[in-house]
Amino acid sequence: MHVPPWFWFALVTLLCWGGAGLLQKLSTNHISAESSLIWLVVGFLLLEPFFYPGKSIFTYSSVNLAWALLSGVLNALGAWALFAALKSGGKASIVAPVTALYPLVVIALVPFVLKESITPLQVAGITCSLIAIVLLSA
Amino acid sequence: MALKDTLKARWFWYSNLCVLCWGGWALLSRLGSREISPQTMQFLFTIGTLPVGLALLMARKFKMEPSPRGITYALLNGVLAGIGGLALFAAYHTGSNTAMVTVATALYPMITVVLAVVLLRIGFDWFK
Repeated sequence: MHVPPWFWFALVTLLCWGGAGLLQKLSTNHISAESSLIWLVVGFLLLEPFFYPGKSIFTYSSVNLAWALLSGVLNALGAWALFAALKSGGKASIVAPVTALYPLVVIALVPFVLKESITPLQVAGITCSLIAIVLLSA
Repeated sequence: MALKDTLKARWFWYSNLCVLCWGGWALLSRLGSREISPQTMQFLFTIGTLPVGLALLMARKFKMEPSPRGITYALLNGVLAGIGGLALFAAYHTGSNTAMVTVATALYPMITVVLAVVLLRIGFDWFK
């Protein structure tokens, strides 16, 4: 069976973020969610020397550089909104499954923005995964 | 009535904002990754998170809880999340189907649950 390259990268993401989820829980046992987010950004910064692109950064188009920067802004804003939802009276058992549905935005926009299509089999896989995401987050 | 209350609740709108932001983050990550290498994407992504981190720090008047344990866990969380982000950018960079990669990586709570059961010895819920 041929396993596409993206699968292995996605598996690494899955394992790392799975571990990160546990560490997030452990950190918020000792500090507030907001402090946890601030230190998370500091944790990101610790990796920066390893990813420093040097002059090669000037070879990329400004539009794509803007997308990359904006992706960071949106990710952090999303995390802040999650904490704000929990702080303003939202039950974790409801807020977590709702916010875990963010791939739906991607699925809805991808055909228009990236002109990508998905096969019926992939639709079945995505549906099962979305159900699993909601059940796991509840 | 319940629906009306939900629509009026602030948490509901914050939750929707979160979904939109994270959906936008995944989409922009894919767009940027078409050209930019995963390492550079992660480098720029981190710079993008700085304004929000700084805004939170300023809102707290630079006061943080002095808990070495909490800080260590949160820092390690950042490092692991960063490595995971790098792999995500690499997955997008391969030119794979965006929806598939996004949904597959969003399954990470599955690993968190397994780790919590094994390492923290929390009770296993068969619903999960």
